[in-house]
Amino acid sequence: MLNVGRLWRVMATGFCFVMFGVGGLGIAGAAVPLLILIPGRHRRQYLTRELVHHSFRLHVALMRLTGAIGCVIHGREKLARGGLLILANHPSLIDVVMLMSLVHRPDCIVKAALWRNPFTWGPVSLTGFISNASGPELVEAGLASVRSGNNLIIFPEGTRTVPSHRSTFQRGAANIACRGDLAITPVIITCTETFLTKGQPWYKVPPRKPIFELTVLDDLPPSSQITGSDEPARHSRRLTEYLENYFYGEVEQHG
Amino acid sequence: MEKQEIHDWIAKTLHETFEIDPARITAQARLYEDLDIDSIDAVDLMVQLKQHTGKRLQPETFKTVRTVQDVVDAVYALYQA
Repeated sequence: MLNVGRLWRVMATGFCFVMFGVGGLGIAGAAVPLLILIPGRHRRQYLTRELVHHSFRLHVALMRLTGAIGCVIHGREKLARGGLLILANHPSLIDVVMLMSLVHRPDCIVKAALWRNPFTWGPVSLTGFISNASGPELVEAGLASVRSGNNLIIFPEGTRTVPSHRSTFQRGAANIACRGDLAITPVIITCTETFLTKGQPWYKVPPRKPIFELTVLDDLPPSSQITGSDEPARHSRRLTEYLENYFYGEVEQHG
Repeated sequence: MEKQEIHDWIAKTLHETFEIDPARITAQARLYEDLDIDSIDAVDLMVQLKQHTGKRLQPETFKTVRTVQDVVDAVYALYQA
């Protein structure tokens, strides 16, 4: 039987994808005027980050308005701060869009391939987002970003979660947390349907409208209080293990 | 330093710094895949090597090593240079 709602959502999702690309190219197009008009790399990065934040707010509104997705947010007020280290699980392609729509001055560790994609090149290079290919410098860059007041978003799994599969965390996020003795702001992302997961094309929309739920939990205490301070190599391993268990438990509970 | 000595030092450091089970640290063990050493750990390891031997392994060299034996050979080469 023809499912009209589903057909509509295929079109709505396609439309949102196109608009995302247009937005990305638009920000790239702003590169030249920005470089000419705004002196100073930091000021340009600050402005582009705010631009990305507001563009993503618009994009989330568009996705909700067209009915492509539903989105429920719990604890939004906890993200209305600066200098946060935000860790989240990563079930879908649009997690970062939803998270960046909620925080000012977003920063993120993103995959290197986005610098080679014409639709994402503009935003990632002008904002100064941190490339996951930068290796050990990523820790210094991440810590400096949080200390300067940006809200750094990291998906410690390093890639989108394979549904119903317990994944291991990369240690970069824990390294940043323990070297700066930072508190972590955890966000749990769940969705009522399987949608935009790894390896699933955008037009495979589920029979029912997918409702995303983002739950911002209370900050975890500074990492030295969780695992005890130690040499960074051992400390970050313990913290990574702790975080894996913590997120696994919370996702189970919210999923 | 002899190769065996270098191997022993590396094995000890891997165990003490990264809490890797000594049984897993064989000459053929691959650092990234088998021993779960990441690029941040690799920098730690190079710093410790510098402190211990006063020799400095170039990051480019470290990028090419795969196994524990490769590290031993690279450090041994530093002593020969």
